[in-house]
Amino acid sequence: MTRTSYEIGHIQHYYGDKKVLDIDQLKILQGSITGLSGPNGSGKSTLLKIMAFAMKPSFGQVKFKGRKETPFSPRIRSRISLLTQKPYLLKRTVFENISYGLKIRKDLNNLENRVKDSLETVGLDFQEFAQRKWHELSGGEAQRVAMAARLILKPEVLLLDEPVASVDNKSASLIRKASLAARNDWGCTLVIASHDLQWLYECSDTRISMARGRIFSTGTENIIPPPYDLSLKNQPVKALDKGEHILLPLTDKKDGTAVIQTEKISISNEKKGNRKFNNQATGVILSMLLEKSSNHIMTTIQVGDFSLNLSFSPGKAEELGLQPGKKIILMFRSKDIEWR
Amino acid sequence: MDFIVAGFLKAIELLISFDPSTWTAVSATIKVSTFSMLISLATGLPCGFVLGYLDFRWKRALRTILDTLLALPTVTVGLLVYALISSQGPLGEYQLLFTLTGIAIGQTILAFPIVTAITASIVENIDPELKLTLVSLGAGKKNIIVTCLWEVRYGILAAAVTAYGRVLTEVGISMMVGGNIKYHTRTITTAIALETNKGLFANGIALGIVLLGIAFTVNLSLSFLRKQ
Repeated sequence: MTRTSYEIGHIQHYYGDKKVLDIDQLKILQGSITGLSGPNGSGKSTLLKIMAFAMKPSFGQVKFKGRKETPFSPRIRSRISLLTQKPYLLKRTVFENISYGLKIRKDLNNLENRVKDSLETVGLDFQEFAQRKWHELSGGEAQRVAMAARLILKPEVLLLDEPVASVDNKSASLIRKASLAARNDWGCTLVIASHDLQWLYECSDTRISMARGRIFSTGTENIIPPPYDLSLKNQPVKALDKGEHILLPLTDKKDGTAVIQTEKISISNEKKGNRKFNNQATGVILSMLLEKSSNHIMTTIQVGDFSLNLSFSPGKAEELGLQPGKKIILMFRSKDIEWR
Repeated sequence: MDFIVAGFLKAIELLISFDPSTWTAVSATIKVSTFSMLISLATGLPCGFVLGYLDFRWKRALRTILDTLLALPTVTVGLLVYALISSQGPLGEYQLLFTLTGIAIGQTILAFPIVTAITASIVENIDPELKLTLVSLGAGKKNIIVTCLWEVRYGILAAAVTAYGRVLTEVGISMMVGGNIKYHTRTITTAIALETNKGLFANGIALGIVLLGIAFTVNLSLSFLRKQ
């Protein structure tokens, strides 16, 4: 039976008066990899900080392994670790940075070998790096040291917030590899927030999109993100490039997010005089990734200032001649768009 | 100009010959400044951490008062301590007036706001990622306080040096509370003031050299610690 790591119920978080997180329900299974995507400011980092119990949500509760927990609870302190995009390295040597977590737990057995192993996991040589000071590392090396400092703790949950966003390709690849090794070696539950969709599609069991602090299921639905022009009484719209726009259904919600089920979107190589679809928007294929779990091709299409993800069978993709850079027409009905 | 040169030569002679009046002033200065710094660091560091780290209702008002106290005139502190420890004051029964302990109390009052205010500013400016990193590595509240203070240790050393400089060079408290009693409560600064008034520049210059020497030694030690 698969057990649940996290059960998040009806949490909201505010910075001042601004609501930045509003999640009704989210469950994360033990040993799973969850990919979290969404634009900057969508609430990914706040959600991860709350999941790391580094802060409390303004409302609602977070259960870890069935129990409601709060920051600094001894039960969760040694089990959950968060790696941010620009982690802080203590003003000490690499060795001291990596061994810090074990030292505060007074777990000093075989310390040198454990530091050596965790450094090797992230591709850094013990002899060369152990005695280096924090300011003698490049950005990518510093990120790898921070990753090693977390891996040495063998946490049950590793939360990664844009871990490869500001590092070189080699460091990014090593961090990706090390995070997967954590799941394979000791069943670590991973939650990864990243703009690197290819990585998320390749490794994650579940993918979640975030917008305006809310979560949506990637693959089955797509977000048409704000801003919206709600000034027209009869027809709210989402403005696109070159005078195009998407017609949205009427709504009373001032802070709602427009969402459309993926199955409601059709594509074509040219615009049609078809009255069935009152929305026909031009998009450009940004990327096409093979989704391991379904063997389908996840296609990311740029439309105006946002992108949609559609999944095609390899045969369908070939039939439509889909390839990155190609212009296509997305067709859907405004009444199929929901406000949430 | 000649009398300054003669003063320097005389100063060297006084120091080498271990002149009792010069060396008792040096000893008194080191004793009171060390005591006052130990107490102000022991109390000012935790207070500064709390003030810089936590958010509470009267924080801003408290910071304003503390920042005002950075410019506290030494004679005002001298007056306050004199009033408290004189025979008519609330602490008169302890007979602290004209003692080194009395001077140290005054100097502690002088150094405390400096240590607290600078520590609070340093702690306020700690990278928010530090706390997040420590929580991520499993640190508890006590670990977070100790590690945060350790991370800003160079800033705290600067706070200590600033406060020490103020304590070492003050005249008002030592003069008013200590009474400038020879071989007893005379400190380097009160001795310099007295000797200069008497026209004995050599003694004044000798003590000035020692004062600079103490400041230099303290800074040199801190610089060595920083390198470590």
